[in-house]
Amino acid sequence: MTEATAAPVGVDAATPRRLLGTDGTLLPGAADVVGDPETVRGLYRDMVLARHFDQEAHHLQRQGELGLWLSCRGQEAAQVGSIRALRPDDHVFPSYREHAAALCRGISPSELLAQWRGTAHGGWNPDDHRMHICSLVLSTQLLHATGYALGVAADRRRDATVDEIVMCYFGDGAASQGDANEALNWSAVTGAPVLFFCQNNQWAISTPSVAQSRTPLHVRAEGFGLRSTVVDGNDVLAVHAATAAAAERIRRGGGPEFIEALTYRMAGHSTSDDPGRYRDSGEVDWWAERDPLTRVRRLLDVRGWAGEEFHAALDEEAMALAEGTRIACRALATPPLEDVFRATLVEETAALRAERERFTAWKESFA
Amino acid sequence: MAEPRRFTLPDVGEGLTEAEIVTWHVKAGDTVAVNDLLVEVETAKSLVELPSPEAGVIARLHAAEGDTVPVGAVIVSFGSDTNDPDDDPDDPPAPPSPGVQAPEAPAVEEERQSVLVGYGPSRATVARRPRKPGAAAELPAEPVPAGGRPHATPPVRLRARELGVDLVTVRPTGAHGRITRGDVEAAARVAPGETTATTATTETRTAIKGVRKATAEAMVSSAFTAPHVTEWVTVDVTDSLALLDQLRAERGFAGVRLTPLLLVLRATLSALRAHPEMNAKWDAAAGEIVQYGDVNLGIAAATPRGLLVPNIKAAQRLSTRELADALGELVAEAREGKTPPARMAKGTFTITNIGVFGVDGGTPILNPGEAGILCVGRIVRRPWEHRGEIALRSVCTLSLSFDHRLVDGKLGSEVLAHIGRLLSQPSLALIG
Amino acid sequence: MSAASDVAAQTLTLGAALGAGLRQAMAADDSVVLLGEDIGALGGVFRVTDGLQAEFGADRVFDTPLAESGIVGTAIGLALRGYRPVCEIQFDGFIYPAFDQIVSQLAKLRARSGGRLSVPVTIRVPCGGGIGAVEHHSESNEAYFCHTAGLRVVACASPADAHWMIQQAISCDDPVIFYEPKRRYWEKAPVVTGPVPASAPGLDRARLARSGSDVTVIAYGPTVRVALDAATVAESENRSLEVIDLRSLSPLDVDAVTASVCKTGRAVVVHEAPTFAGLGAEIATEITERCFPVLEAPVQRVGGWNTPYPPARTEELYLPDLDRVLDAVDATYRY
Repeated sequence: MTEATAAPVGVDAATPRRLLGTDGTLLPGAADVVGDPETVRGLYRDMVLARHFDQEAHHLQRQGELGLWLSCRGQEAAQVGSIRALRPDDHVFPSYREHAAALCRGISPSELLAQWRGTAHGGWNPDDHRMHICSLVLSTQLLHATGYALGVAADRRRDATVDEIVMCYFGDGAASQGDANEALNWSAVTGAPVLFFCQNNQWAISTPSVAQSRTPLHVRAEGFGLRSTVVDGNDVLAVHAATAAAAERIRRGGGPEFIEALTYRMAGHSTSDDPGRYRDSGEVDWWAERDPLTRVRRLLDVRGWAGEEFHAALDEEAMALAEGTRIACRALATPPLEDVFRATLVEETAALRAERERFTAWKESFA
Repeated sequence: MAEPRRFTLPDVGEGLTEAEIVTWHVKAGDTVAVNDLLVEVETAKSLVELPSPEAGVIARLHAAEGDTVPVGAVIVSFGSDTNDPDDDPDDPPAPPSPGVQAPEAPAVEEERQSVLVGYGPSRATVARRPRKPGAAAELPAEPVPAGGRPHATPPVRLRARELGVDLVTVRPTGAHGRITRGDVEAAARVAPGETTATTATTETRTAIKGVRKATAEAMVSSAFTAPHVTEWVTVDVTDSLALLDQLRAERGFAGVRLTPLLLVLRATLSALRAHPEMNAKWDAAAGEIVQYGDVNLGIAAATPRGLLVPNIKAAQRLSTRELADALGELVAEAREGKTPPARMAKGTFTITNIGVFGVDGGTPILNPGEAGILCVGRIVRRPWEHRGEIALRSVCTLSLSFDHRLVDGKLGSEVLAHIGRLLSQPSLALIG
Repeated sequence: MSAASDVAAQTLTLGAALGAGLRQAMAADDSVVLLGEDIGALGGVFRVTDGLQAEFGADRVFDTPLAESGIVGTAIGLALRGYRPVCEIQFDGFIYPAFDQIVSQLAKLRARSGGRLSVPVTIRVPCGGGIGAVEHHSESNEAYFCHTAGLRVVACASPADAHWMIQQAISCDDPVIFYEPKRRYWEKAPVVTGPVPASAPGLDRARLARSGSDVTVIAYGPTVRVALDAATVAESENRSLEVIDLRSLSPLDVDAVTASVCKTGRAVVVHEAPTFAGLGAEIATEITERCFPVLEAPVQRVGGWNTPYPPARTEELYLPDLDRVLDAVDATYRY
């Protein structure tokens, strides 16, 4: 296939680490690190399901069932590849676009959609899935991840069998915030067992990544003292391999690391956004040709690793997930406001209780 | 949960209030699957594609391309629904998306209230939500001032200060033991409630207010407006006293308090019937002399609240017995301090009894709005000419002040003489 | 309206009226620059700065890296250099990374320099709830800034007022926190665009939004509309509410409030922020101190509950609405 246009400004000039070409062929040396066909099928399935879920959520927002949706379309490989390379007990700190990663961790559509529907702030219990609730204030989670990792390290000093690591997702825009840079410095100087996974999807709403940072993010991270890698974020195999390797090093006490996954935000920032105002459709087309799902599909086809039955079954599963998502979304009930009073502090103060009771009396005074 | 039959325009961009229909991608009768593209709309932020929330047949499109539709309005119906959503009372509209604004009312300008600057509210969409009965919120429990401090709200305290009322002395009648404004004002009218401040010297100061103030003002007004002339006559009332004794034995007057004052009233009414021009007033403002129809006979009375002049309305119509009853009632009322304001209004002639104080006569000041006032002195035993001899007789001095603008000396004298004659010879009343 | 302008009124949304005010300010003074996230090509997430970069160029209207502390910190520097920066904080809940720059630096530089340093920075903040937003996007944090000496804090409530107030804020030499009620961004009204006439009320003045005789309702930003709606209903109940749009939160126009409450004897304050230690508490105290002898009832405060802002689907129960305002009005008659 031909390149539609020259590479858009912002893609790192250095060759990103890639294992799988856009045409579905494995690059030289890839065979050593790429897993067995079953692993590849599994990664593909995760991405397909994530995309269908994301698409369904977008439709639900347009139908008035969700207040807002921030699509992860195009970033499936960056998320699936990384999260599947961790252990289930490695704690993960997401931002707000890691729907594909969340699904892989077993968070249900219902739990994922609650905060976008407005029936909850954090839709799931972090302990159940070892995944923190979403952080909408950008980059705040990098400090939280660093602190959590320091806790893991402290636990490890008491018990050498503790070898979890912590992974933190964030974007290129968030990297400009003070908290992000404090966290990079802090983790490096303390040796915290944390993997900072940056999905550089090229845009922070309407601000391109070249306007966020003069130097590539993975170079900046190196400057702070973290071992850094850059990968083609749309190559799920490369992402998986890079993450697995970094996780292993951190687990063995190698200190914090940074992975920059170059990917693309195919949709707007959110359902409130209008990307046509600030970016070129040619750019979107260029990245569409580098779609993460397409190249894996090609690999599976070329290698004969997945037949018609596999794809048919996967389609059915995807449709069922979409249907289930619709049903789950509409079934999300609005909780009583009284719950917030009780959840503000460990113990409801007398003042809060009195106010809650006044609120309930007022609410129930209406016919 | 029920599938929606009607699709309302959602808020697709965090607080948007409306959108313009740009392109319909379906029409009535089309069969659609879930998520099929229905329509493209333009919002203030961007062009948005709206996918179908359900599978089914499009029944009706509720807006045309180019229409601006408010968030929450029905845009598409499914199934066999060809009715206007506003016509169907059984099927409530789908609830609006979170954060939806109330739809803007059409023909906005005349519906809006004018405000000083900017945009007023729309009448069409605002109302209280209906309440369950008896749902008024309770106030928090009212704290009662400790230590016996009086319980009154700030405006009541201010009023008390203005009136010179000490709240400690006021009896509260309000809820929660509160002193009300009325309690304070009532306390201000009662003489014992007056505050007096004693200074270091022997001097005592009392605030001028209430009845005393009102009375003084009336007197000043009367005294310095109407030119007063006072005439007097001293008459032998022995026969009137004898008449009273007779009446006491009469069954028709049993239980009635019979006093010389009653006979004075009777004599005065006779005089005013003979000389109605005395039952009048000089209305300077209207430039007219007003001749009253009735005689509302005022009796000056000393009450706990001060000097009042309640009157007996249309006294000229009353029989002596009725007059006695009316007088008794009036006096009793006055003594108890319960004279109603209506009783004191519209008097036409006043009688004041100073004899009870042991004096003979004086120069009474007219009640404003009246032309004459009669002062009745004490009845004393005096040596008097009686049937050509000197005898001890009961005599009484009557003093009449009148408004010389409308009562000349002749009239005044005639009225006074008439009263005196009847009291000295009560049998003359039989004649006329 | 001033007779000095011959320009006819156009119907504008509050967002567009703000944009027109920014345009006016930029045209009148070359030192005015706009900075913020996504305000250039995108025109701002609420489209307030739509078209301004195209008109005035990327030197005067520019997107910043994603860092609120950086936005305010660099604005301070620009101001020290003689520019008049107008910062946009994208949502109220994102102002906190800039909190230190605002309260430690922006508010105090004049005092710390003995009056020598001037930092005429305007910080525009979309505030408040009612748009079904996700967390951190519906905050009312004016109390923190009102409590910080050295800042002026204002809130616009209507398109015409917003058009003038933003110009006044920019030309004010003090730092101004400029709150814009995001749930009102799309409401429309006639606006005469142009420079602020001499007859316009000062930035530190309240506005009589509706005259009345029975109860004074004090509101600002998003709750002004709620108060006016409540007054409409009250009228049908034979109660006459006087509505004051505070406009200036710090300093407070206590004279206007006092005059009104001394007339009515009853006061209700309405804000979205939680009542505990909120601006309503300050207003209630001022009223109590100045109008005590004529107060028929304690000052009522209607505000958000004292919990973190709840999930969007429950926010209508959290935000002060017409019923709660009228309940408070009713309460002033039960004393």
